[in-house]
Amino acid sequence: MRQEVLRMEQVTYVEKGITRLENFSMQIYEGEIMGFMPASGHGLSAFLKLLLVNHPLHDGFIYYREELVNSWRESRKDNNRISIVYDKSCLVEGMTVAENIFVLRQGFRQRIIRRSLLRKQLEPFLEEIGMDISPDSYVEKLSYFERVVVEILRAVILGHRLIVLNEIGTRISETESKKLYLILRKYASQGIAFLYITLHFEEALQICDRMVLVSYGRVQKVIQKQEMVLDILLEYPEEFNDLVRGHMEKQKEGKIDTRKDIVLELKNITCEALQNISIKIGRGECLVVQSLDSIVYQSLTGLATGELLPERGDILLEGREISMGNNRDVAVIREQPNESMIFQGMSYIDNLCIGLFRRLSNSWQDDKVRKSIQLEYGPILGQEVFYSQVEDLTEQQKYALVYTRILLQKPKVVFCIQPFKGADISHRMFIWKMLEMLLEKGIAVVILAINLADSMSCADRLLRIDSKGLMIEMSRKEFPMLIGTVPWVHLYQKKEKMENNT
Amino acid sequence: MAVLVLLGLLIQTVEHIVLVVQKDAALWKVFLYMGITVVYLLTVWFWLIVPYKRSERMIQRFLEGHIIIESSDFDEVLLTPSIRRQMEATDKILKSPQMIDINRRQAQYLALQNQINPHFLYNTLESIRGEALIAGLDSVADMTEALAKFFRYTITKVENLVCVEEELDNCETYFRIQQYRFGDRLKLHIAYEEEDKDIIMSCGIPKLTLQPILENSIIHGTERKVGTSNLRIKFECTKKRLIIRISDDGVGMRIEALAELNDRLSRNDNNITGEEGKKGGIALTNVNNRIHLIFGEEYGMHVYSIPGKGTDVEITIPITSLSDYDEMEHLRGNQKKDGVR
Repeated sequence: MRQEVLRMEQVTYVEKGITRLENFSMQIYEGEIMGFMPASGHGLSAFLKLLLVNHPLHDGFIYYREELVNSWRESRKDNNRISIVYDKSCLVEGMTVAENIFVLRQGFRQRIIRRSLLRKQLEPFLEEIGMDISPDSYVEKLSYFERVVVEILRAVILGHRLIVLNEIGTRISETESKKLYLILRKYASQGIAFLYITLHFEEALQICDRMVLVSYGRVQKVIQKQEMVLDILLEYPEEFNDLVRGHMEKQKEGKIDTRKDIVLELKNITCEALQNISIKIGRGECLVVQSLDSIVYQSLTGLATGELLPERGDILLEGREISMGNNRDVAVIREQPNESMIFQGMSYIDNLCIGLFRRLSNSWQDDKVRKSIQLEYGPILGQEVFYSQVEDLTEQQKYALVYTRILLQKPKVVFCIQPFKGADISHRMFIWKMLEMLLEKGIAVVILAINLADSMSCADRLLRIDSKGLMIEMSRKEFPMLIGTVPWVHLYQKKEKMENNT
Repeated sequence: MAVLVLLGLLIQTVEHIVLVVQKDAALWKVFLYMGITVVYLLTVWFWLIVPYKRSERMIQRFLEGHIIIESSDFDEVLLTPSIRRQMEATDKILKSPQMIDINRRQAQYLALQNQINPHFLYNTLESIRGEALIAGLDSVADMTEALAKFFRYTITKVENLVCVEEELDNCETYFRIQQYRFGDRLKLHIAYEEEDKDIIMSCGIPKLTLQPILENSIIHGTERKVGTSNLRIKFECTKKRLIIRISDDGVGMRIEALAELNDRLSRNDNNITGEEGKKGGIALTNVNNRIHLIFGEEYGMHVYSIPGKGTDVEITIPITSLSDYDEMEHLRGNQKKDGVR
């Protein structure tokens, strides 16, 4: 007989007059790792909010460990014993691991903190999961993966029986993922349940027992254990699948010759975790650079944004030496640009023209330039956006704004840092089309990623780098050799099979 | 009226504050008026505003179509004796044996689809079976036997609850009949944890709960599908609940249709409100209504579906044996009698 940790029965939740969740029904059993895949972002934050606090419901019932905690009849607005590990860490910097776990919990009454006692209490937990983290380390010194583990430990020690992991996969390397899965399984065997929120079937397949598909605040389907097979799962995002498949069928092999038409070259670069790295990027090529370690990822993103200068080596753009971060021919699209690259308080047109001033220095004052941009891009972006506040734009309009800004800048190379991170299926499709547009204009796209996610759908070449400086280069022809759980590899494998058959 | 009293109290308090400032009155009087105002505000809030809001909410739900409401929900929101009487009368109508009976009969009607004299039907079917056996037509005899068994279960048993085992047996009989039509194109899989078998099989379930859903899955899900179709009935039990999932890998439902169906299920909408344009899914709403009437609105049905991939119908009922249910009904009866006295 199984015990339910969470049950949501026909929950309808309305916030500021907008229905966030509608007839939302799902349940999670003890010791289960349940996947949660939102096809659209609508309702996700409301769902997480309801898990933490029992806000008044419009309809339905919520049970925690088979006890009614919230219903349309009565909402006590109290907290549930559920923890959420977000993409951004909730640990308090300036405090040690042990302090974050023990001192910050409710009911901690000691006036003098005895670090040796805290250390003693925490060590058995760390040993149990085989983590080599010092209880006295300050959390800001920890890697992203270690922070996630500390947050899970904190939830376990607090006695929470349900832990929600919200899109943590995008920041964790393959080796770290394997370690994380072992830890989750260990706690699951002790009866703790996990809700693993992800945007990729391939990721959920590796760890989850069942999976909930959510669309616009409604549960569309609960995929049962026997259905957790890649072939079945891949049928669900049909539209996206068809889009990428169609593109692959059209694409001609070997259109890029990186030896002849090199745009950007990183020559023997050494900085922080990068050791003597050399990368060549061809015109109109989509290169995916996967960091097998989060330290390498940090160094690469630092280098691309210009926040980190190379200790040794040269960066050459069309044979000329340049410095990154201050060059109009090299653009950077940061993680979640819909949030990080929108300048609130500035008008839409100013946001759009921000990259243009390097090409046309008087674009700020010249109304003619701005009007002609509005005339040219109005039909594509929609005339209404030019009269809207940027904070009122939809997510898709925000993505469109950032990518169009890059198009206006006309760079030769664009570094995209985890471009698909945090985007639901419809937004991912849109980003994918935008990247295609950049490539069609002959702009080289370099995708920096830890987790390959959707990057493989448009990659021409893959470069995998680890902290020891080891680089593995793979061309499109070699993609079928990647493991089947890497997103989109199934299409390359199918294509190879078809070619072999013919 | 309440506002006028509040205004009066506030004026008195302000007047005394002014007098205290002018040193014409004692400070304790100000505190006295302030105290009376606070007590008055609290009284108005808890005894008038909160019940009024609850009352509004309940009426709003009723108007939205949530016609089956627990009588205890009204206890705290009955503002006047006439509202109490009105609500008691509504509750009496909705919870009356006739209402349950209407739903049960509707289920029987949906299963049979026409009015046939049951004894005449059994006798005829038995005769056909005998003839078929004599003629060596074993398949015809088996089919006739299954049909007779199915009709007997549907018509003769008049209780509200049966055990899962009986209901499942009826499903298998129904499936046998359908298999003569679909052959190997249709497959039924039944799954449960072996260790929970006794609890699951003895659990009480409203009669004709599973078969109408199975029928729905065949007609709307798998009949229109090309190739083999699989139907799955899965039982899972927790300490308090029995969860039954009936799945098919048929054509599935459009997102809009699914949302509308789930909306109707959550509102107990069986079209007695007379709204036009809501056809289809009568069998599901009927089953759902009976579950709500018998076990309460915390239990019921939810449908999940993806176009082209199949549909899952999930039913949740409490773990109750038939004897528990009889006892519960007995207690309910006693309570009603006490109420009458």
